[in-house]
Amino acid sequence: MSEKDLTTGARYWRSLDELARSPEFERFLQGEFPQVHDEKSAGVSRRKFMSLMGASLAFAGLAGCRRPVEKIIPYVTQPEEITVGVPDVYATTMPFGLESFGLLVECHEGRPTKIEGNPAHPSTLGGSNSIIQASMLGLYDPDRSKRVLQNGAERTWDGFVLFWRELRVNFAATGGEGLVVLSPSFASPTLARLRQQVLSEFPNARWLGYDPISRDNSYQLRLGSNTADSRLIPTYDFSMASVILALDSDFLYTEPDSIRNSLAFADGRRVSSPAYEMNRLYAVESSYTLTGANADHRLQMKSASVGLFAIALLSELRSRGLNVKIPEIVYNHRRYEDNEWLRAVASDLLAHRGRSLVIAGNNQPAWVHAVATAINDALGNIGSTVSFVEPADAFLPRQSDLSAWIGDRSGADSTNTLVILGGNPVFDAPADLRSDEILKKFSHSIHISQHVDETSILCEWHIPETHFLEGWGDACTIDGAASLIQPMIEPLYGGHSVFELANLIATGRDERGYDIVRQTWQTRWGLPDFEKKWRDALRDGVIQEAANVRLEFVPDVNSLSSLIENGLQQHPSGDGIEIAFRTSPSLYDGRFANNAWLQELPDPITKLAWDNAAVISPASAAKLGVENEDVIEIESAGQRVELPIWIVPGTADDSIALTFGYGRTASGSVGNNVGSNVYSLRRTSGLGFASRVAVSKTGRKHELANTQDHGSMEGRPIVREATLDEFNRNPRFAKEMVEHPPLESLWKDHEYDEGYQWGMTVDLNACIGCGACTTACQSENNIMVVGKDQVRRGREMHWIRVDRYFSGSADSPQIVHQPVACQHCETAPCEQVCPVAATVHDREGLNVMVYNRCIGTRYCSNNCPYKVRRFNFFNYISKMPETIKMAQNPDVTVRSRGVMEKCTYCVQRISASKMKAKQEHRTVGGDEVVTACQQACPTKAIQFGNIRDAASRVAGLKASDRNYELLAELNVRPRTSYLAKIRNPNPALEKSVNGSSD
Amino acid sequence: MNSANPTSGHLDPEPLIAGNQTFRSVTERVCSIVEAKTPPIWFIAIGLAGSLAILLFGLIGYLVWEGIGIWGVNIPVGWGWAIVNFVFWVGIGHAGTLISAILFLFRQRWRTSINRFAEAMTLFAVICALIFPSIHVGRIWAAYWMFPVPNQMSMWPNFRSPLLWDVFAVSTYFTVSALFWYVGLIPDLATLRDRAKTKLRKIVFGLLSLGWRGGNRQWKHYELAYLLLAGLSTPLVLSVHSVVSTDFAVSILPGWHTTIFPPYFVAGAIFSGFAMVMTLGIIARRIFRLEDFITVKHLDKMSKIMLVTGMMVGYAYACEFFIAWYSGNIYEQFTFMNRAFGPYAWAYWIMVTCNVVVPQLFWFRKVRSSILALFAMSILVNIGMWFERFVIVASSLSRDFLPSSWDYYSPTIYDVGIFVGSFGLFLTLFLLFIRFLPMIAMSEVKGVLPQANPHYHQPAGTHGGSR
Repeated sequence: MSEKDLTTGARYWRSLDELARSPEFERFLQGEFPQVHDEKSAGVSRRKFMSLMGASLAFAGLAGCRRPVEKIIPYVTQPEEITVGVPDVYATTMPFGLESFGLLVECHEGRPTKIEGNPAHPSTLGGSNSIIQASMLGLYDPDRSKRVLQNGAERTWDGFVLFWRELRVNFAATGGEGLVVLSPSFASPTLARLRQQVLSEFPNARWLGYDPISRDNSYQLRLGSNTADSRLIPTYDFSMASVILALDSDFLYTEPDSIRNSLAFADGRRVSSPAYEMNRLYAVESSYTLTGANADHRLQMKSASVGLFAIALLSELRSRGLNVKIPEIVYNHRRYEDNEWLRAVASDLLAHRGRSLVIAGNNQPAWVHAVATAINDALGNIGSTVSFVEPADAFLPRQSDLSAWIGDRSGADSTNTLVILGGNPVFDAPADLRSDEILKKFSHSIHISQHVDETSILCEWHIPETHFLEGWGDACTIDGAASLIQPMIEPLYGGHSVFELANLIATGRDERGYDIVRQTWQTRWGLPDFEKKWRDALRDGVIQEAANVRLEFVPDVNSLSSLIENGLQQHPSGDGIEIAFRTSPSLYDGRFANNAWLQELPDPITKLAWDNAAVISPASAAKLGVENEDVIEIESAGQRVELPIWIVPGTADDSIALTFGYGRTASGSVGNNVGSNVYSLRRTSGLGFASRVAVSKTGRKHELANTQDHGSMEGRPIVREATLDEFNRNPRFAKEMVEHPPLESLWKDHEYDEGYQWGMTVDLNACIGCGACTTACQSENNIMVVGKDQVRRGREMHWIRVDRYFSGSADSPQIVHQPVACQHCETAPCEQVCPVAATVHDREGLNVMVYNRCIGTRYCSNNCPYKVRRFNFFNYISKMPETIKMAQNPDVTVRSRGVMEKCTYCVQRISASKMKAKQEHRTVGGDEVVTACQQACPTKAIQFGNIRDAASRVAGLKASDRNYELLAELNVRPRTSYLAKIRNPNPALEKSVNGSSD
Repeated sequence: MNSANPTSGHLDPEPLIAGNQTFRSVTERVCSIVEAKTPPIWFIAIGLAGSLAILLFGLIGYLVWEGIGIWGVNIPVGWGWAIVNFVFWVGIGHAGTLISAILFLFRQRWRTSINRFAEAMTLFAVICALIFPSIHVGRIWAAYWMFPVPNQMSMWPNFRSPLLWDVFAVSTYFTVSALFWYVGLIPDLATLRDRAKTKLRKIVFGLLSLGWRGGNRQWKHYELAYLLLAGLSTPLVLSVHSVVSTDFAVSILPGWHTTIFPPYFVAGAIFSGFAMVMTLGIIARRIFRLEDFITVKHLDKMSKIMLVTGMMVGYAYACEFFIAWYSGNIYEQFTFMNRAFGPYAWAYWIMVTCNVVVPQLFWFRKVRSSILALFAMSILVNIGMWFERFVIVASSLSRDFLPSSWDYYSPTIYDVGIFVGSFGLFLTLFLLFIRFLPMIAMSEVKGVLPQANPHYHQPAGTHGGSR
């Protein structure tokens, strides 16, 4: 009997648990186990989880002899290759719009607990970011949707399948007339196949795309005028770039491929010795982003002016003899004042032809991308630092297509069925799209999502979506590196994947994700090698062979010029106050609003958690007469939003930066009503920024939770920084910045000269300040989330924090970041003052914290010069939902109320490595132990290992000239040391921009 | 008691005890307070004080139930009002033993009128003080681990920690002060026993007076014991606050890590202790009409001690600034500039005004003899001394080495409630003391009366008397 027979026609059941989905069985369960039923409404409890898993196991035997069994089950009899207590690691992929992150997931007895980047996958290269790390918490979110709903009433999946099959009969007859599928952009061979299938099955149907945060401005370029439908996406190779100019682009963090890009960028900055070739980054932006913070030169200007700057630069390059293909006419629009900065950038770019890179931000309109492309083309960067690909399996929607379609349909009421494959357009669509009104025009609407969100509430059908760790799928990067999405756990709350729903829409068959994805690859690979390739793909987490062809793209001059000229003509004048929209560094577009780890992760620039604010410059604040936490009302095109003020030096005057993703009303208990929704200020005409907004004071205050009140280093040698030139003249500058008497002890100190001696280095030149380490540590070490009120009171629990300091003038400051965790001082001040000896030193140099012994005097924290100790002021753990307890790392003790905690150098990982080494009759390698922060760090700024092993990376870095210990003058002898930051300013600009540093 | 010739006023123009008291009148005057019908004002007072004490215990209960988080403490300010209050109360607890022991050794005979209630005040202040370190820990149920209790884990406390030294210093101080106070009480308890009219009083005071008969041998042993205890207490007066100061001085925090702290803290403690004795003494002498016993002269002498200690404290403040500048240590320099001009400047200037400026008025005899002025100033001094501890604890912690961790500390209503409640407990105990025990050391006061001198001649026309 084939799969086909099973999924169409009469309904057979393969296993009892399939039958269990039926209402009769539900009723039976309710009668037999009333407590199970009661628990259902309160989310999935551990008890329920265990019983379901147990039932799955028991019934799995009935499923017959098909292998592999899809179920992921706990063990009653120990399976082969699995040792209880020893975690297993599997490869999978996190799809993320046009990106996909190759991951390795640590599972304890079938329960995923920790996510890492897959070193073999080109998108992560072993690193990750906070969003990846925190997706672990998202899996266990108790607020996730658990039921199929039709107009708010509970239904079953089977009920929905029947509904769709009936509907499908009509669509089959009309060729899909009235069927509209709305999906976010995606890059997935299977979804691409299913999309083709839908469009071929229903030729009259429409498949539209909408992304609140889109990169469609970057793929408006066409290969030529005749290939109208080809969409070219630029990809960048920062490792080739010596001079980089970012035009309102946050390529280091919130923009695509940030992990890969930031690593390549940081690799160009690991200055080891004088005469090192270090890259140079210029940033032009309206408000501070991490890219701007890491720039050697930063110019602040309104987002609306950035394009004019780009045009002026193009013109300057042309006047300096560069062969720019854009015709003369374009330059007449030039409105940007020529200045020293612009000329210096132009000279630097000209001096690095073929090794420079101009990158425009996704907030900037398409014509600015065209200007950047023109500059890159003229400089000969295309083919070296920039390439264009035409992704095969990706869906690249254009905002304009959607707007045009809505424009056509706005009067009509004949529309029939809308299928929304993910996304949350009711929340995040621009105000003028009127997404809620449009929804009402459909007689049927179907929405799949993990939460009953703003869109689900307005749709007829809501389908609970599986998390990527729960269902099968596949994804690929823009470069074409494909990988499989391999589930780690049976869906916790039921649910179906987008793949399954799309397949149902296309074929009417209710198939499992596993079979759907295999069909795709069976077609591609052919039968003989299929099983082997499939297994290899699952094992490696990446399918290399499918890479997209990089095109030698020659820009079509006419299309570039017309794009630029049209864009310039429509470009707003930039007068008045401007609002510039920013992707949230933690919540992204708002989809992670219910993720408490991300809500509590401080913004890398503002250090605000649990809120978004209107970020403005000190001068603008003075002009408006507002200060921090004053609530202002912003009015743009008839929409009003109220937001509290947060003043950040380095923001362009008269520019207000607003962060997306906040102000959710149906995200769940964590994210509801946190911050304000600024999507309502957005219009399709200005997706990145809008000029001439009206701002008024409300006279009210809104308390903001900020984790760092003070932004100045007060002239203290905390982050030690020099220019490349200064470094070349005095490589040991960092060590010489502090004068102190010889650091001697009154008594004979412990030598620490045997066994392993653990230590860490943090390269401040590689660290971009993103905070991935903070979230990774939170995931690894079961760190509690304490909520906005407690963060406001200074009680956040993060073991590793990323400090942000401003330097230079208040008008155009520079930003430096410094991750600080327990420094594991050899003569730790905390140890001496603890009255009960709850914090002591071990012989491997770790400052260990004995939770059981701690009585909570907090004296250790008072005496810690780094203030890295964290105290359980309340019993935070008691408020943790049952399901989230499953996200906890079983190797790490959970702390209760009244005890101090702090970074342990991931002592559980050290122990695991030592046990492994012992079993293998060897010693632990110098670089073998990898801490969670080190593993997550996208730029590999953190290194850890045995400092006694001279061959280890960490020992090598500690011997480098840039190495210094923070507060070494206190004679605490920290085991963590920092590598001083080097900036590479342009000598021509050094005086004017960087004059005040050091 | 034994002393040089104090008789006829050549050496000491004003008698220590005014009103031409006799032995009998002293006994009558002091015992009547304990034996008379309870005045209604006492019930009102203890009602108020007791309510505050109940508030204290209620809030402690909530604290144990909910956690330290109900307070305003955070990271970096790990210690807040609890530790401030602890040091404040320990400081107040200094005057009693100083008056009893050190002034005794220095033959300061004016001490006799005030030593009893000053000692009682000491005990009650130390009781209040001891509450705070035990409730400020995160896991109160495990606080006993600070004691060197033998246990199955062979786990001793960390003898390097100043908090442990505190445990020993304060508990020793409390024990010795209590003994000292009780030994001094024995003759007076016997007087009360002898005057007792009810069975209950007879039994209670009979037991408490430990068979005191007032015999010559008993007096001889008693005085020796008293002398020894005084000798034992004297170093404790100096050591206990020195040890408390090491809680701060041993740390590496700028603003705490200062070698001047032990003498500075002791001076400050005596300063605040005397201020509290003065506050209570002025109230007691007024309510119980003890003006003859606690004379303006006593208050004058206490004012002078406060003037001296106040200037020592002021010197310490100046010295800290000098050393911060002289050391060339940027963290130290910042901390002191921050104290005077940073976010806690308001607290710093309250402290300087109350502790340095206000005591300068003690230079003037007119001020020293104005009861109202002294009362107001004594209260101001204690406000100032509380702020001194607040400034040390909060301002140093809130801004230390790395500006990234700086944070402002502000108390919650629970911090305030527990502090106010500790005054309730203190006053409750004090009210119980003055109701049931003689608040003036009768036997000692009698010793400084002119009649006590063997060469005493009763002036003509007066009727001296013995018991």
